Amino acid sequence: MTQARNVDTGKAMRMGGGMALSKGFVTIVVSTIALIVLCFIFAPSAVTAGSLMGSLPFAAVLAIVGLGQMLVVQQGGFDLSVPGGVSLAVVIATHTANGNDTLLLNAVLFAFGCALLAGVLNGLMVAIFKLNAIVATIGMNTLLFGAVFAVSGGVPRITTDLLAEIAGARTFGIPNSVFFGLAILTLVSFVMKRTVAGRRFEAIGANPQMARTVGLRVEVYEGMAYVMAQLLYCTAGILIAGITREPTAFQGNSLLLPSVAVVALAGVSLLGGRGFPISVVVAAFFLNQLSQFALSIGIPYSAQTIVQALALVFGIGVYSIDWAGRFKNTNQRSTEEENHGNQTA
Amino acid sequence: MMQMAELKTSTDTVDIRNEAPARTVIRMTDVSKAFSGVQALANISVEFFAGEVHAILGENGAGKSTLMNIITGVLQPDTGRLEFEGRDVMPLDPEKSSALGISISYQHPAILEDMSVQENLQVALPADVFETRGLRETARRLLDEVGLHVPLNMRTEELTVAQKHLLELAKALALNPKVLILDEPTASLDQDATDMLFARVRDLKARGTSVIYITHRLAELRKIADRVTVLRDGRKRGSTLASEVSNQDLLDMIVGRKLESAFPQKCEDPSPLVNFEVNGLTGRKFADVEFEVGRGQIIGIAGVEGNGQVDLMRALAGLQSWKGTIKLDGKALSARQIKHKAAYMPSDRHSEGVAKDLTVRENATVASLEKYATGGVLSRRHEDEKVQEVFRSLAVKASSTEAKILSLSGGNQQKVVMSRALLSEPGFIIADEPTQGVDVGARFEIYRILREVSNAGTPVIVNSSDAAELKGLCDVVVVMSRGRIVKTLRGDEITEPNIVGAAVAADTETHHSEEARSSASGIGFKFRRFVQTDNATVVPLTIVAVLLALYIFWQNENYLSSFNVSNILILATALGFIALGQTIALLMGGIDLSVGPLAGFLVVIGSFFVNDGQAATTMALGFVLMFCAALLVGLINGCLIRFGNFTPIAATLTMFIGLQGMSFVLRDGPGGYIAFSVIDTLTYRIGSVPIAFILLVFFALVGEWVLRRTRPGWQLRAVGSNEESARRIGVRIDRTFIAGYIAVSLLTFIGAIMLMAQIGVGDPAQGVNYTLGSITAVVLGGTSLRGGRGTFIGTVLGALLLTEVLNAVSFLGLSQTFQYGFQGFLILVAALIYSTARRRPEE
Repeated sequence: MTQARNVDTGKAMRMGGGMALSKGFVTIVVSTIALIVLCFIFAPSAVTAGSLMGSLPFAAVLAIVGLGQMLVVQQGGFDLSVPGGVSLAVVIATHTANGNDTLLLNAVLFAFGCALLAGVLNGLMVAIFKLNAIVATIGMNTLLFGAVFAVSGGVPRITTDLLAEIAGARTFGIPNSVFFGLAILTLVSFVMKRTVAGRRFEAIGANPQMARTVGLRVEVYEGMAYVMAQLLYCTAGILIAGITREPTAFQGNSLLLPSVAVVALAGVSLLGGRGFPISVVVAAFFLNQLSQFALSIGIPYSAQTIVQALALVFGIGVYSIDWAGRFKNTNQRSTEEENHGNQTA
Repeated sequence: MMQMAELKTSTDTVDIRNEAPARTVIRMTDVSKAFSGVQALANISVEFFAGEVHAILGENGAGKSTLMNIITGVLQPDTGRLEFEGRDVMPLDPEKSSALGISISYQHPAILEDMSVQENLQVALPADVFETRGLRETARRLLDEVGLHVPLNMRTEELTVAQKHLLELAKALALNPKVLILDEPTASLDQDATDMLFARVRDLKARGTSVIYITHRLAELRKIADRVTVLRDGRKRGSTLASEVSNQDLLDMIVGRKLESAFPQKCEDPSPLVNFEVNGLTGRKFADVEFEVGRGQIIGIAGVEGNGQVDLMRALAGLQSWKGTIKLDGKALSARQIKHKAAYMPSDRHSEGVAKDLTVRENATVASLEKYATGGVLSRRHEDEKVQEVFRSLAVKASSTEAKILSLSGGNQQKVVMSRALLSEPGFIIADEPTQGVDVGARFEIYRILREVSNAGTPVIVNSSDAAELKGLCDVVVVMSRGRIVKTLRGDEITEPNIVGAAVAADTETHHSEEARSSASGIGFKFRRFVQTDNATVVPLTIVAVLLALYIFWQNENYLSSFNVSNILILATALGFIALGQTIALLMGGIDLSVGPLAGFLVVIGSFFVNDGQAATTMALGFVLMFCAALLVGLINGCLIRFGNFTPIAATLTMFIGLQGMSFVLRDGPGGYIAFSVIDTLTYRIGSVPIAFILLVFFALVGEWVLRRTRPGWQLRAVGSNEESARRIGVRIDRTFIAGYIAVSLLTFIGAIMLMAQIGVGDPAQGVNYTLGSITAVVLGGTSLRGGRGTFIGTVLGALLLTEVLNAVSFLGLSQTFQYGFQGFLILVAALIYSTARRRPEE
């Protein structure tokens, strides 16, 4: 009897190979396609090769920053130090190298060193000292801007030719920054889905209490999210320094909300859990294209941030509101209270 | 189906009623309640009489809490009627229920730990309770009646568990209720407190109160109850006068069921080789625990819920600290090894057992990932094979290994948790309530698996509140009461009555009274008490601010000039008002990032109306529009958070960016000079002190008064302190939160008026920095980042100190680097110091 059922079970069980597409992926891909169709109809100028070549590098930068924010959000955190991290990398890459190609490597290493330090401090404050992530990263952001002023005095400087070449040139007609973005996407996806560390990272984000009961070192992984995030912001900052001829010292400011928006649009819960790197990158393209579209149909540049804010509201609205169960909430809450009420006390 | 159930119930029910009872207060007729398909209560009919103590008995999950929650209006029954004094009172809600005179003392007290004893009474009880005799005297009397002798201004987080229960009782008794529900009230009380409680209950009974007493302990029932109703599996098993039923009959009714299905064969070896041994194990809530497991034996831990079993299990799993020795195969294990060797199956599957975002496969392999990897890279094939293998042997039924874990039935989810344990190849297995929420069929498979594991030589320790399960499954059962082993049953001794009997009849003399924490007096005591208050940060902040001022004065004597002082105060005023708003957001356990751009946006609005040459009415219109915009922003923030499932940070960050865009839409650069007359009025000063600053201080003082002396203030702190408890004591959660976010925006509006005077022009780029500034000021001021406690006075001082520091940077001729550096440093150091100083004792 038992035997028979076991065989059945074995047969019935599909060997899923990651075929199930996440809701977030489907949503963002469909939205992106719809947006492109809209562009073709109402704003053809936003989808010409020239316009895409011009805007794709910024999509790539946003994608990289978004991946960093995603790691932090997966651990139930929030990183407000994006602007500082990106801006510091920008000014180090431009000021320290100071137009001299031979100093570029030093500048890049220095930038990564700073990012590492900032990330470790963020991680320590949040994971070990249990500081509120918002306050810790907002404080870190301020310190990073202090460093931005220390390095640059707040004035922009022209980037080195070598960096402009590496980050800004095209290979096979495609901007190099896009390759950087794709390479980082591949790396993040691989680590997250195919390595022990990545899988543990996701499991801890999905349920830290469970992770603790199986003996995982929750704090270490939580802290590492902030470190990795800073390294990604730094990469994005260096790319910006290469893409933009004369980047300002506040280049990162405009990336904070978009970084959160792409994470939300990709369907990553802002309360933590599973990450969707590919969806985040698609969302970055989507958001970037949305701006292009808005500009083409005559929405003024000043209103761009309003478009972004609406996109974020849309993103969170789609995923976090349980539309079907909206009205059953009260009941469920009471049930849970009864069954699991205060066991966590 | 229903018909049959009905029949069965009535045949099983023992209904003895001979004495004509007193007046009926509550009559429940045919009440049923189901949760997602599981019948929690089925056709319950029961009457509660005035002047009687009516005990409700039953095992965990028998439906006692559901019954109670229906009476208090927390839950609505699916079918059936509820009458109160002969009137149909359905539908009932918590507010209506307490208006009828029904009060309840919860098993897990609804106490707000960030608030004082007195404030807990005030927020939970209607104001008229305190009217006749005055606040302190009434509060004192309420506490004296339950024998709780603690200072009224003591923060409740410092109370012991027993003291919290007494406070909960005091709240329930304060209203002279018609119906008093006591849910396991003595679980953590010592003998004296229990006697006091019984005296109070008898007293109330004599005055005609109907007391509903939920308990596990037969001994208590004998002392206090007139009538008893037994519930089992959501059904009434009987209702009778307490004097006419023997303990044995009651036990039979509680346990009842005969399990027809076969449990797996027990261990046959009478004295097997011991492979797991625990000696003198002591930890949180348990002491001197000692037992040993032989190869092929399963050890059961029994006892009434909350007697240390859960903590013992967690300690054995390496999740809590312990003292004593734990030996596996004769070798003593260190705490670190325990963590590695133990496989723990938690009882609370949803919070600790499974990660709902992950698939079945991912849930199963999370503890053993390193076994499928080479060099840290996983072999998916290897992982799949292992999962298939273990799922086959445990007969896990899932549509796919890639299905969401929650799509499985409870039993199969539990088997996935077992798969995880087995895949990690553990040294021993700790299973806490392994069959909770598992259907009958799967239960026996779980028993079979546990038995197989045990036979294979892996020690298995099971905690269960189901005596029948322990009887069928275990070779040795250890019964715990109040953290100690009261009985060890072996072989034929393991019967349900023996298990239940040992647990519930455990003599109350084993009570260990919890020591009250230090209640000394004198200067040291007063000092400690002051340090605990929300406003304690005022002292260090003032000292730092004064010392800093003196240092800069020493460097540059113009610093304390009348001009500069009033300049600092003006600057601090705008920041101060915005920070007062931010304080409210943090008090609610949230945050408002949108305050900075909102202030800037409001100034931009104002810059279209409040100009030289405009009529007074136009200017007034400008202020009205600013006010309305602020109101709207607060409302949207609040609604997004409460009704849109946005986290506070997501909602207000969106608002942040949106408002910034709006400012730029209205003006693409600075423009619209603010009328000089308005600026002069706003910055009018007496000596070197601006009127506006005095106003700020006044607002902060009023804010303090509202926060500590009025109901809206307590409610605000209550929702920030513990939303769930606040809901249970009847605070309207959504309304409080939304009103709170509106208040944040309105204070920002006042700050924006000051900002308008400060920058004098409508500049869309201004204001944004006030988000950071306000958070820094609030954190410096000492408001807790977790909500529930904070100080407006501290916030004002924080704003002052921050302004002073930023001003000093220019006075000392330092660069902008220092301006940012100091601010970042201040916020982080303050946050670190305060959060370390305030870490709660349990953590």
